[in-house]
Amino acid sequence: MATPGATEAPAKVPAVEIRGLVKDFAIGLRGVKLRAVDHLDLTVEAGQVFGLLGPNGSGKSTTVKLLLGLLEPTAGQCRVFGVSSLRVEARREVGYLPEAPYFYRHLSGRELVHFYARLCGESGTGLGKRIADVIALVGLAEAADRRVGTYSKGMLQRIGLAQALVHDPRLLILDEPTAGVDPVGSAEMAALIGRLKAQGKTILITSHLLGQIEDICDRVAILDRGRLMVEGAVADLVNRAGRQSLVVEEMPPGELAALRAWMEARGRKLLAVEPAGRRLEQVFLEQVGRGKGEGETRP
Amino acid sequence: MRPVRFSLARVGLIAGNTVREAARQRLFNLFVVLALMLVLGARWFRDFSFGAPELRFLADCGFGAMAFFGSALTITATAQLFFSEIENRTALTLLAKPVWRAEFIVGKLVGVAGLTLLFCGLLTVLLAAVLWTREGALMQEFPDNFAQGRVVSYAMVAGAGAMQWLKLLILGALVLLVASFAQTQTFAIVTGFLVLVICHLQHLALAAYERSGSLFGMTASAAIAWMFPNFQVFAWADSLAAADFPGWGQVARVVSYGLGYVGLGTALAVFCFRKREI
Repeated sequence: MATPGATEAPAKVPAVEIRGLVKDFAIGLRGVKLRAVDHLDLTVEAGQVFGLLGPNGSGKSTTVKLLLGLLEPTAGQCRVFGVSSLRVEARREVGYLPEAPYFYRHLSGRELVHFYARLCGESGTGLGKRIADVIALVGLAEAADRRVGTYSKGMLQRIGLAQALVHDPRLLILDEPTAGVDPVGSAEMAALIGRLKAQGKTILITSHLLGQIEDICDRVAILDRGRLMVEGAVADLVNRAGRQSLVVEEMPPGELAALRAWMEARGRKLLAVEPAGRRLEQVFLEQVGRGKGEGETRP
Repeated sequence: MRPVRFSLARVGLIAGNTVREAARQRLFNLFVVLALMLVLGARWFRDFSFGAPELRFLADCGFGAMAFFGSALTITATAQLFFSEIENRTALTLLAKPVWRAEFIVGKLVGVAGLTLLFCGLLTVLLAAVLWTREGALMQEFPDNFAQGRVVSYAMVAGAGAMQWLKLLILGALVLLVASFAQTQTFAIVTGFLVLVICHLQHLALAAYERSGSLFGMTASAAIAWMFPNFQVFAWADSLAAADFPGWGQVARVVSYGLGYVGLGTALAVFCFRKREI
């Protein structure tokens, strides 16, 4: 899938630029203000996979809606490739997968993607092929002509991704893309995101499932009660400076003591000896025979 | 940066999807079946016509069914089709595309217009077929009464059907206006029925206030007359004879009056919806 837009963008224009963003909601008849986003500043550079993390109610989805122009900010501004998010033009370069997507049940998957493609101004003889390509990309080719009403949650996420991709946007916004999806589906979604990143797409993901985000994001920002708590490269945030882990086959106590002595003789300190663990997700994927990177399509 | 302009193609897409969604709902099919039953059944309970001519009674039944079930269909379908987009969050995905909110509102109204056109068209054709068949039978039974040929003008039947449709289109625009700011579907439906009653009775209120002669009464009547359309002006099927055609000038005035309210209702709906938080 070509991404011509990625090379046309001026190099210095960030994909997303949020400055001093504030969003208040009026609650109840007395109009008591609830601050959902509190003076948020964020920049997502083109080509990055950026994770917007935080617990439920931290302001992630509100920030996404503000970015899409679905809400108006109380103060501050959002820009998408330099265009104010309040302008319809800003959405031309954006593909959006909503949280727990719900689509027109009366349409088939193919009709649904066709509908959204036409809304984005896609037309012409190549449209049918383009639709077939994105449906194949998300692994729904066999179910493309089934009614969306019969789709499982994972399939809804996939068709949602297909409609987000069909107009070949430069920026993808995925709101909780793996919420409610089983580990196999989550792994497949992660693999797909990796492929889209390789094609030059900028991807903004919101999630509260930190393990998944850690594997696929270049940078993350953590929100809490609408405020930015921390932002940075994933590697910088998770790695402990000045420390390394070595994974070796199990050593008898004598050899371990010798190793410790050998290191101390060189001024090094062995800080911990513990069994090399695996993440439960990895065990699950191995058991069901779909390790990451394989089985990217499901029947 | 290439601007995104208001697009009739996108309006058409949204409208087409709206019609398709509505046509697959049980509600639409239920109203169509009930209305068809009433039109077809009128042939068998004409004895309750209290002396009115039979063809007149059949026509009254047909247009009555169109008005009654059409109004119920328009109000419920408009509110339901609008709120299903909001509550199911399909509007989120749609408005996250390069789509103007005005296109969404106009698309919904055009979709409702298509739905009611389908409904009115179906009923008008059926009614015309019933009238034609019955008139043929009566011509053989009572040839003296039909010495000049057929008495029913089928162009008038089609015109009356078109007027019913225009009335439903106004009602759809007004319900859409309410839905554009209402928080619940129930509120929009209840208000829609209230508006329907006011529009049917506003000429009575107007007459009453005008008779009162007071400044307050006159002002209130003028306000009501401007705010709510008078649905009585669309009831031009008192006679189905070609000789009673009200004239093209009158038709143009009524159509302009109706389209004016449709335009105003839609414009206000777009205004109310432009900043609604989705």
